[in-house]
Amino acid sequence: MISIDKSVMKTDTLDLDNLSPEQTALEIRNLDLKYGDKQALFDVSMKIPKKKVTAFIGPSGCGKSTLLRCINRMNDLVDNCHIGGEIMLHGQNIYDKKVDVASLRRNVGMVFQRPNPFPKSIYENVVYGLRLQGINNRRELDEAAERSLRGAAIWDEVKDRLHDNAFGLSGGQQQRLVIARAIAIEPEVLLLDEPTSALDPISTLTIEELITELKSKYTVVIVTHNMQQAARVSDQTAFMYMGELIEYADTNTIFTTPKQRKTEDYITGRYG
Amino acid sequence: MENMNLNRHISGQFNAELDDIRNRVLAMGGLVENQLQEALNALVSLDAELAQRVIEGDHRVNGMEVSIDEECTRIIAKRQPAASDLRMIIAISKTIADLERIGDACVKIAKAALDKRLKNQQPLLVSIENMGRHATRTLHDTLDALARMDAEVAIELHREDKKLDSEYEGIIRQLMTYMMEDPRSIPEVLDVLWAARAVERVGDRCQNICEYIIYYVKGKDVRHTSYEEMKNI
Repeated sequence: MISIDKSVMKTDTLDLDNLSPEQTALEIRNLDLKYGDKQALFDVSMKIPKKKVTAFIGPSGCGKSTLLRCINRMNDLVDNCHIGGEIMLHGQNIYDKKVDVASLRRNVGMVFQRPNPFPKSIYENVVYGLRLQGINNRRELDEAAERSLRGAAIWDEVKDRLHDNAFGLSGGQQQRLVIARAIAIEPEVLLLDEPTSALDPISTLTIEELITELKSKYTVVIVTHNMQQAARVSDQTAFMYMGELIEYADTNTIFTTPKQRKTEDYITGRYG
Repeated sequence: MENMNLNRHISGQFNAELDDIRNRVLAMGGLVENQLQEALNALVSLDAELAQRVIEGDHRVNGMEVSIDEECTRIIAKRQPAASDLRMIIAISKTIADLERIGDACVKIAKAALDKRLKNQQPLLVSIENMGRHATRTLHDTLDALARMDAEVAIELHREDKKLDSEYEGIIRQLMTYMMEDPRSIPEVLDVLWAARAVERVGDRCQNICEYIIYYVKGKDVRHTSYEEMKNI
């Protein structure tokens, strides 16, 4: 008695357990992380699909930012931090001794909670990474600046004052400028660590809109405390709790029919 | 609805709001159940006064639907419910629409009871009385499953509707013989036929409510699926 045409239903979700290598941007394998004696991540394994937005959610201290920072080896800067397991990018473990951290970070850009423009002009902020790479051709830099600022949806607001100091911009504009700076060097992966938590609701919506646009070119991984934000912008969501990856599925499933009780309790605002 | 860990929201106010609409749906269910019972009593005993009371009582059912629906909208806007909370609100919003339609069915039954010509056609009413009892019990059990959010019971009840459907077919066949035997009785027979149809629709509505219960508990939309598929989720 099945009288339903399944073809009219939307089924564009990825099978996250069986992503093909072409669909996978990053693969995290059995990742453990300890800060001194304290273990912060326990055996995390997941595949992050290409050109999609993946959100990490979970209560404070659950390890979501730690996990994000592992992806471009930001934790290397922390004393006493020990990492086990692998993160594969292009078939290579980024923790391999042969890997040059600077070139890894060119491929994996990062944007932080508070906008952190350099005390320079808007233009110089955007082309900073390119200059570091030794590019000084004026035309090339101009093109890259416009492309990145357009990509970060801030071009129209700053095109007439590219040489003003970046600190003159509002918080939301500064954050978009920082995103422009991150995409100027054309990374493959963009890591966003609570990119809107210091912004007002309207700037937040602009950034969210931008994130949705960014995924046509980049793989975006975002950590957010705002669950509704994860629901709005991400394609798949990973819920973490006390250093463990509890559930990882497409966002629609996580927010309507999560499988794990802990996920359910967290996203509905109940005590765990 | 107690078994789903409902009252553990960090926000006590949210708990209170969800509790409130749950209680109001159950109250609305109780009211509709009472309407159905009285409409059938009025028809069987051709009690015009009782029938009139049922017809007037439908305003209350309609009012409850509107006010619960408003509350659902408010909760969605204010709380952005997710997962089981969201499914609960959606299930409630759909359930009250079906309860309201059962209320309309009661009015149809009660209107048949107002037809004075039926006084000479008592035998017609006997079979509808049986079917009515069956429908009342189905509604009662459905509301019970709703109160406890019991998906297993809902799956079994969902199947029960077949029996009501076949009783309805039996009544139609019976009424057709009446019409053939005495064409002058057709107006009264049609009255009874509409009432029987209304009773049969009550079963369909209960089936829908069972689907919403299963949706809430299991997170799967079971509309248009077979009994076997339902059992396997």
